[in-house]
Amino acid sequence: MEQNLRLYAFLWGVPRERAKARAEEMLDLFELDALRLRKPWALSGGERRRFQVARELMHEMELLFLDEPTVGLDALTRGRILDYLARRARDGLAIVFTTHILHEADRLCQRVGVLQDGRLATIASPAELKRRHGGARTVEAEFDRPLSPEEMREVDRRLREKADTFAPLEQVDVRLVFRARNPEDLVAELARWAERAGVGIERIAVREATLEDAFVSLVGEGPGPEDQPTGTLT
Amino acid sequence: MTPVPPVLRLVVRNFRASLDPITLLVMFGQPAFLIVILGTMFNQLIGSVGTSSSYVAFLVPGMIASQMITGAVLAGRIFWLDRRWSMVEQIFCGPFLRAEYLAALLLTTLLFSLVGVGIMALVALPLVGLPTLSLAELAVILGTIGLGATFFGGLLIAIGGRIRSANLYFTIQSLLQYFLIFISTVYYPVTAKTPVVLRAVVYSNPLTYAANTVRSAFTHSFGPGDLVAGEVLAVLAAAAFAAAIASFRRLEFGPVQ
Repeated sequence: MEQNLRLYAFLWGVPRERAKARAEEMLDLFELDALRLRKPWALSGGERRRFQVARELMHEMELLFLDEPTVGLDALTRGRILDYLARRARDGLAIVFTTHILHEADRLCQRVGVLQDGRLATIASPAELKRRHGGARTVEAEFDRPLSPEEMREVDRRLREKADTFAPLEQVDVRLVFRARNPEDLVAELARWAERAGVGIERIAVREATLEDAFVSLVGEGPGPEDQPTGTLT
Repeated sequence: MTPVPPVLRLVVRNFRASLDPITLLVMFGQPAFLIVILGTMFNQLIGSVGTSSSYVAFLVPGMIASQMITGAVLAGRIFWLDRRWSMVEQIFCGPFLRAEYLAALLLTTLLFSLVGVGIMALVALPLVGLPTLSLAELAVILGTIGLGATFFGGLLIAIGGRIRSANLYFTIQSLLQYFLIFISTVYYPVTAKTPVVLRAVVYSNPLTYAANTVRSAFTHSFGPGDLVAGEVLAVLAAAAFAAAIASFRRLEFGPVQ
């Protein structure tokens, strides 16, 4: 594999010394050091994938296309590769990166294009996509005891009055989960109600909309009607 | 440091990445084996052949000329395997032009042919001794091999570029290889006793002209006929090269069987 990396660098006109150093860097980065003498056909699927990406990074370029480079890799290796790619991107390398793992795109990409039925449905920064298509955010509140049905109805009524968009409450043991576009206002309202009703709040967490939420919303195969936030998501 | 030109980088890659030692051993070993076995065995039966003092002395120049086919077959094989494993697409995604890839393939053909010539000369050394060639005769041999390699290499590349099945390509290649070598003057001379039809077929084979020219150089009997043969070979090489370019221009990418 080491020879293959260096031959590839040679084909791209990388000077010998730089190719040698880059090969060492790639073997280390992609955890292929122990396999350096192995023939390419003796590699497993994951090793082959790492090797392919390593090989493409042997030379300098202005634009790099990567087709799902982290498929079949463990989380640790995936993280290392993404960090490396982010570093190269910061150094000026333009990377076109296809993936089904959307949090990777969120972590790495400055602009994300969503393909639907072979067409580019939209392209924007991850933050913009989440803002435009992410919809409601999920709030999870944990109380010191389960709420009674009457309390549930009261909470539901109060939150609904304050909400821009609001998904029905869901109670799991002592946890109350709801989705809304203005969770900060609702959390404050919930806290006021809890104080008045003498219910202790152990923990409140607001989960930001993810790129996956935006993707699901955008391609129209989102959660079922009972899970949909009310109102229009624009 | 000056970077290595793209054509030479591809030639190095052709040598290093596309061929395994066993293939090379078989491809160059087979004609070497024929020189030793066929030459020794037929030498017992046949005396002098034309201007050659013995059958083995007749056979060696023919086998040297046939190395242009060996080189072409190896380059054709590289090209087809490149297509099969999508290496052509990968190479063209790299810093290479089609013209450079084609030039590298033809240069590889030429170099393989010359390696073959060297191997055949070495194998023949104990049987026919060191040939006393003048510089002009050596140039004629190398020039003939170069033209022949360009012709056969170009031909196989042109065919390989139009076919999308490995089975078909390698069948055509094997057929051509054996047909061209056996229907030529590599193993036997064409005389007045040769049937007219067979004579016509043999003389329509460019390898015949190459074998005759190399043989003339070996026997110091180079004459005007060989000059014409060289010119014919040059025209054919140019035509095959043009066919290879045309095939390359229309080369369809994507999976092949």
